[in-house]
Amino acid sequence: MGEIRPEPIEQIRQRYKNEWLLIKVTSHDENGLPKEGILLGHFPDRKAAWEATEFVDGEVYVLFAGPTIPEGWEAVLHGWVSL
Amino acid sequence: MFWVRFDPTRPDVKFWVRLLGPRGIVWCEMVLDTGSSRTVLDERLLARAGYDLIAAPEVNVTTASGRVEAKVVKVWQISALGISADDFPVLAMPLSQPLGVDGLLGLDFLRRRNLFCNFEKGILLTLPFSRGFLHRLAISAQIFPAL
Repeated sequence: MGEIRPEPIEQIRQRYKNEWLLIKVTSHDENGLPKEGILLGHFPDRKAAWEATEFVDGEVYVLFAGPTIPEGWEAVLHGWVSL
Repeated sequence: MFWVRFDPTRPDVKFWVRLLGPRGIVWCEMVLDTGSSRTVLDERLLARAGYDLIAAPEVNVTTASGRVEAKVVKVWQISALGISADDFPVLAMPLSQPLGVDGLLGLDFLRRRNLFCNFEKGILLTLPFSRGFLHRLAISAQIFPAL
């Protein structure tokens, strides 16, 4: 069985449009941001992606390979805290 | 100075964020939310980073559509946009499924530095607060290419 090789995170993102990705980070760029990683799973929703991280040790990166706000939606995000 | 590009055609401004917790380092993406008084992280992310949400205190949060409750978790370290904050309290809330990020970077985090945003070019800078005239000149020179 062949060894799984790390690949650029942007390359992984392009391959799995509109899915949640679980990536094990293997290298960083000069700013310390994740550069390359190994795709451990791709999921239809956030819940499944974070549940899968329970079984992964080390530096993980979870991201959605799609728009923050879906087509046809608007977002109103703000919140204020009362203590 | 920290310099980052974002897509100016998108309705949001999102960035990579690094969270350090008892279980190690977790990376995620968050949106800039200057309308939020506090930084919010999805509760599943915090649980994965090793934080205890059950024992965390609760606060009331006012949103545009009503009141919700959230846990307050003091994270060991959160880093984004060239800013790092230690022992930083964040709100743990379940973020709704259609939102493609795991948190909101609120004013409590952003106010640690000057924030400069060029929404036409898609450039965001974070700069230190000025400490005198020469320092102010140096900061102005750094902003100039982003104008």
